[in-house]
Amino acid sequence: MGYRIGIDIGGTFTDLICVGPDGEVLVDKALSTPGDQSVGVMNGLGQLAARLGCSLGELCSGIDVFAHGSTVADNTMIEMNGAAVGLLATAGHRDEIELRRCFKEEIWDPAAPAPPPIARRRARIGIDERIGADGEVVLPLPEEQVREAARRLRRLGVESVAVTFLFSYLNPTHELRAREILLEEIPELSQVSLSHEVLPKAPEFERTSTTLVNAYVGPRLAHYVTRLTGALRAAGYGGRVLLMQSTGGVMHSDYVARNAVSLLGSGPTAGVLGAARVAQAAGVGDFVSVDMGGTSYDICLVRAGEPEVSLDWNWRHRYYIGLPMVDVRAIGAGGGSIATVEAGSLSVGPRSAGADPGPACYSRGGRAATVTDADLLLGYLPAKGFAGGRMELDPDAASEAIHRNVAEPLGLDVVDAAWAIRRVVDATMADAVRRVLAGRGVDPRDLALVAYGGNGPVHAWSQALELGVSRVLLPRSAPVFSALGLLVADYRLEGVRAYVTPAGMIEPAKVRQAFAEMAEQAHKELDPAEVEQERVVTQCFANMCYPGQNFDVSVPLSDGPGFGDGDVAGLVERFHELHQADRGFCFRNNEPMLRSLRVLTVAGASSAPALAAAGEAPPAGGTAGSRRAYFGECFMDARVFPGECVEPGICIEGPAFIDEPFTVVVVPPGATAVLDEAGHFELSAAG
Amino acid sequence: MVNVDAAALAERKGPVGSTGQVDAVTARVIRSAMETICFEMAVYVSRTAISPILNQSNERNATILDSNGRLAALSVGIPQLMLQSTLPVRFALDFFGRDRFHEGDVFLGNDPYHGAGHLPDYNVYAPCFADGRLVCFASIQCHHADTGGSVPGGYNVTVDEVWGEGTRWPAVKVVDRGEERDDVLYALQANNRVSAFEGDIRAQIGAAQLGVRRLGEVLERYGASTFDAAVQWNIDHAARRFAEEVRSWPDGLYESDVYVDHDPRGNPDIHIHLAVRVDGDHLHLDFSGSDSRPELQAWSTFGNTRGYAIAALAALMDSTIPKNEGFFDSVSLHVPAGCVLNPSPGKAVSAGTHHPGIEVGEAIALALSQVRPERCAPQVYKTGIPTTIVGEHPRSGARFIDNSAEVYAGWCSAVKGTDGWGAFNAAFGNLWKATAEINESIFPHRQWSRDYRTDSGGPGRWRGGLGSHYVKEVLVPAKVYTYVVGMKYPMPGIAGGCPGEPNKLTLRAGSPEEVVVKDTADWVPVEAGDRIVYEYGGGGGWGSPLERDPDAVLDDVLDEYVSVEGALRDYGVVLTGSLEDLTLEVDLAGTELERARRRASGDGAAPGTMAVPGSGWSEPPSPEAGLLGGA
Repeated sequence: MGYRIGIDIGGTFTDLICVGPDGEVLVDKALSTPGDQSVGVMNGLGQLAARLGCSLGELCSGIDVFAHGSTVADNTMIEMNGAAVGLLATAGHRDEIELRRCFKEEIWDPAAPAPPPIARRRARIGIDERIGADGEVVLPLPEEQVREAARRLRRLGVESVAVTFLFSYLNPTHELRAREILLEEIPELSQVSLSHEVLPKAPEFERTSTTLVNAYVGPRLAHYVTRLTGALRAAGYGGRVLLMQSTGGVMHSDYVARNAVSLLGSGPTAGVLGAARVAQAAGVGDFVSVDMGGTSYDICLVRAGEPEVSLDWNWRHRYYIGLPMVDVRAIGAGGGSIATVEAGSLSVGPRSAGADPGPACYSRGGRAATVTDADLLLGYLPAKGFAGGRMELDPDAASEAIHRNVAEPLGLDVVDAAWAIRRVVDATMADAVRRVLAGRGVDPRDLALVAYGGNGPVHAWSQALELGVSRVLLPRSAPVFSALGLLVADYRLEGVRAYVTPAGMIEPAKVRQAFAEMAEQAHKELDPAEVEQERVVTQCFANMCYPGQNFDVSVPLSDGPGFGDGDVAGLVERFHELHQADRGFCFRNNEPMLRSLRVLTVAGASSAPALAAAGEAPPAGGTAGSRRAYFGECFMDARVFPGECVEPGICIEGPAFIDEPFTVVVVPPGATAVLDEAGHFELSAAG
Repeated sequence: MVNVDAAALAERKGPVGSTGQVDAVTARVIRSAMETICFEMAVYVSRTAISPILNQSNERNATILDSNGRLAALSVGIPQLMLQSTLPVRFALDFFGRDRFHEGDVFLGNDPYHGAGHLPDYNVYAPCFADGRLVCFASIQCHHADTGGSVPGGYNVTVDEVWGEGTRWPAVKVVDRGEERDDVLYALQANNRVSAFEGDIRAQIGAAQLGVRRLGEVLERYGASTFDAAVQWNIDHAARRFAEEVRSWPDGLYESDVYVDHDPRGNPDIHIHLAVRVDGDHLHLDFSGSDSRPELQAWSTFGNTRGYAIAALAALMDSTIPKNEGFFDSVSLHVPAGCVLNPSPGKAVSAGTHHPGIEVGEAIALALSQVRPERCAPQVYKTGIPTTIVGEHPRSGARFIDNSAEVYAGWCSAVKGTDGWGAFNAAFGNLWKATAEINESIFPHRQWSRDYRTDSGGPGRWRGGLGSHYVKEVLVPAKVYTYVVGMKYPMPGIAGGCPGEPNKLTLRAGSPEEVVVKDTADWVPVEAGDRIVYEYGGGGGWGSPLERDPDAVLDDVLDEYVSVEGALRDYGVVLTGSLEDLTLEVDLAGTELERARRRASGDGAAPGTMAVPGSGWSEPPSPEAGLLGGA
C-alpha cells in the first residue's frame, strides 16, 4: 500500500494531504497557480516530498490514490473564457437558452443584465427535424441542412458543438447522426455534446442549458486534465487522477473530461463529505454543515449521514445545471465581508474585501470595515500569531475602519459598532440556514451544526444560538478540510434514462432492460483495475410525478434489473408514500407518471483515513494566558488555550478561546468545549 | 349592495401605537428575520401545494403586516401582488373588529371589491399574538387555477358583473382558534371546478400557520413592543430612502397618456391619464381624466391599481430599499371613483386586472421618464388574457383545457445600459413556464416555434427585447378563446427610443379560413392540423437608435436580432458585405453620413416613436387648481 494524496485547489491556496502507507497524515498548503493549476499541484507534491524526505519521483511512483478537487470548470464559467461553442437545435427552438423559461434573478431591478452568452445566436442554428412526444419521427433529419450548418459553424471558428433536439431522450437517432456529420465536416472539432447523453430527460430548457455548459467547459477541462496527467506521469505516477464531482463522489479523469459539467459546483462538496465523516465518528447523523471562509458561507443539510442532493433548480454562474448535485448553498458572508451603512441601516456583505487587500487589520491597504476587523476588536482573534504565525493583525487599523464606516454613521462607539457587525452577519448567516432548511421542511433545532473554514469556529456558537442548535462540532483539521474530504469520497456515477409513461402502462421488461444497460455502462466506466467489483453498489430509482407536475420524486427500487410484473403496484404505493413524506400530501386516486429511470452507482473509497488532527502530538496541559473579549455587555477576561495544548476529554468552560494555527474556537460564556478522541471540538451549553 | 371604500382603507397609514424602543441593528436583524419568514412561507407553499401554478410557476406571494394591516416585509413573488396584501386585512380588521381575532385563527379572502385584485387570487392570513395582544399578520397570496364562475380559470371577459366571474369571499374565517372550519372549506371546494383547490388552500393555511409560529419565536425573543418599534423603524427607513430619491428629482408636473387597444368587446382606446407631481420629497399620483365610459369591460380595482402603481415606483428606485409600507407613505394616490382604475362595485374585473391594470405601470414609467429616464423600463406585459384551447383529448377521451402557459418572449423593454433580454420583464422573473416537451406530453398539440422574431425589439441606443414567433399546431379539433391587446399600442420607447413591434394573433394560419384576431376570439373552432401563430410584441427601446454603437448594431445583425434592412432603416447604420457569408462590416463613413443627414432633417431621431399626447415638462399647477386630490 502506498500514498494516498488529496489535493484541493482554492482561490489562494492549494491544500494538500498525504496519507502514508502506515496511516500517518501530513498536511500542507501551496500557493495556487491560477494560470495553470497543474503547476501549483506539482509544486505542492514537491513540498510534500521534501517533508517526507524523498524525491518527487519516489513520492509519485508510490502513490496509490490521487484524488483532486479542481476549480477549472467553475473558473471557466466565472471568467466566461470557455470554448467557442455552437448549437444545433430543433428549428424554432434555438432561443430556449435566452428565454430561460421566463426566469430572471432580480425581480426588482429592470437594469439587471442578461447572463453572458455561451453560444451567440449567430452560432445557434435551427434544423428542420422533429421527434414527437412519443418518440416518433415527425420530420426526418435533413442531412444536407446539417452539413450546411456545420460548415457555417466551422467558418465561425467553433471548437465545441452542443446538439439539443426536442425529445431526443426518447429517440436519439437524429442527435447521433448529427454528430457524425459534424465530425465529418469539422474534423478539428474538439467535442460534440449531445443533449440525450449529457442529460437524457425533459424538459428542453434544462437539457439545453446543461448541454451548452458541458460543451463550453469541456475542452478547457480536458486540456487541464491532459496537462496534469502528463506532468504526473513524467514524475512517475502511472495511475489515473480522480476528480471530485458535484454529485459528491469522485470519478476518474477520462470520464470527467467527457462529462465536464459534472464538475461544476464541486468545490464545496469535499468539505461536506469530510463533515459527514467527522459527524459520523461523533455519532451525529443529522446536521447542517457550514463553511465560513473569507468571502462565502456555504451551507449544506446532511441527514442520516448523507448530504442532501438537489435534483433540480441547480443554478451555477447563471446557468441551469440539470444534474443531481450535493445541495450546497452559498451566501456572501465571511471574514472579509464588508460592513456598510446606508441611510442609517447597517448591512454586512455580500461584497468582500477578499484576501487582497483584505480586512483593514491585514494592513495591506484595505480601508473597508470587515467581519474580521470586528472579530479582532472584540478580542476573538489574536493580534499576534494569526494564520499560523505568518501574520500580525493591526487593531488600530481595524478600529479606524470600523469607526469611520460604521460607528460614526450609526452614532455608536467602536466596540458597539463591532458588535453590531457581528450581530448582523450572524443573523444573515442564520437566516440563510433557515432558508436552506425551509426547502426541506426541517427545523434547525433538530440538528447539530458542523462548522469549518477559517471563520467557522469563530462564529459557530453564535450561529447555534440563533438557530436553537444545541450541539456544535468543530473539526480540528479545518484548514485542509476539503482535501481530507477528497480522500473519503466514494466513486459516484449518476445515470438517467427517460421512460415517460403513465404508471399503469409501465412495461416491466423495458424497465429491466434500461436498468441492466445503465448498470453495465456504469461498470464499464469504473475501471476494474481501480475498483473492486464487490465494492460496487448500484441503486435504482424511478423518477415519478403526478401528471402536470414538473419536479420529480426519486423512488428507490430494491431490485431495478429484476423489476417484475408484480412490482408496479408497490412502486406506485411507494411513490404516494414518499410524496406524502416529502411534499406533505399525496393523491391515491391519481395515477402517477413515470418520467425517467435513474441509476446511482457507488463504489467505496479504499479504506478512508481517520480524520484525526494532523500535526505534532499534543504536549499536555497548560494555558497561555488570557484575552480581553466582548460578549455583548462588557469586556471580560477569557482564557486562551493554544490548540496543541488541549487534551481530549477536558471540559473548557467559556469564556475561553482555543487558538489554532488558522482559526480560533470561540467558547463564549455559558458554553463549554470538549476535544473528543477523534480530535474534534464539541461545543455545547454549559451545565 | 356591499360597498367598501378601498381608497379609504389605503389612506390608513397610521403607525401602531407602541412605546417600544429599538436600535438600528436590532431593527435590521428583525427585518432579516421577517423576510426569511416570508421566504419560508412561500417555499412551504411550493413544497406542499398541488397545482403546478403554485408548486412550479412560483405564483405565491408572502408578506408580513403589522396590527394595523400595514406592510412590514415581503419576499419572493410578483411585486405588484405582494404589494396588494394589505387592504383585505384592513377590511377584515374593520369587519370583525380586533376583539374577534384570536390566536389560532386563519382568514381568507379573494374579493376585488374588498381590497384584492381579481377573484383567482386568494389571500390567506393569520393573526399573531404576544401576551394576548394582536401584533402582526402572516399573509400569503396565491393565484388559483379556478375560482368558480362561468368559465374555467376565472377569466370570463364577456360578462358585465363580477358575480359572473366567480365566487366572492370578502373575509371568512377558515380556522377558528386552531379548529379547522370544515363547513367553510367544504363551501370553498364546492365553488371550484378544480379538485386540487382544497389541497392548495390547505397549503396556504399551513404556510400562514408556519409564519405565525416563526413570528412567535421572534416575538418571544425580542418582545412585542420592540418588534413593533422595529417594524416602524424599517418603515421609516424605507420612507426616508424613498423620500431622498424623490427629493433629488426636479419638482414639477409630469404627465402621460397610455391606451389599451380596446376592451374585450371592442370598445376602442381605453385611456389612462396620469399626472405625477413631484413636490419636494412627496409624489402625488393623479389618474383624473382616465376613461370612465360605463359600457367598458376593462376595470382595474383600486387595490389592483395601487399595487401596480407602487410596484412601478419601486422599479425606479434603488432596489436595495426594503419593500414595506414606507413605499406607500410618500405617495398620495388619487384615483377618481368610477374610472377604469377604480370602478364602482360590481363591475367585472377579469380583463381589467391586466388591462388597464398593468398599464398603470406603463403610465408611471412614461411620466417619470422625464425625471429619471435611466431607470425607466415599464414592467409591463401585453397579454390580453392567455389563449385558452379546449377540446377532447384523444388518449383519454376527457376534456382538456390548455391555457397556453408555455414559455414565449415579449415586451422586455430596454433600460439605460441594458438591452431588453430574456422572455419576460424583471418583475415577472419568478415565473417558471412550461415548455414544448412538458406540454406536448399533456396536450394534443405541437409547438413548432417560439424563437425570437427579427426586428421585433424597439430600436434604441439600447434595444428592446424581441418577441417570439410562436407557432402551435393543434392535433385535434378544438375551440379557442382569447383576448388580444398591444396591436395598436405596443410597448413604448423611452427617452427617444422606439416602440417594440406590436402583437398579432392569427388562428388557422395559412388555411383559407385564416382569422386574425381583432379583439376577442370567442370560442373560434379550429381543425386538426390548424396552426395558431402568435407574433408577440417586442420591448421598447431606450434612447435614440442613432446613438447606438454601430458595432452593437452589427452584432445584432449577425445574431439576427436585427435585419440588414432594419440596421439602415431603424439605426442609420450602413453595412457592407454579406450576412450569409459572415462578411458584414460597418461602413463607418457611410453610417456617419446617414446619421448626420437624419439628424439634420429631424427624421429618424426616433423613427416611429409613438406620439404621447400631453407628456413633457410643464409647470406645476397652482394649489387651488385642485388637480391632485389629497394634495
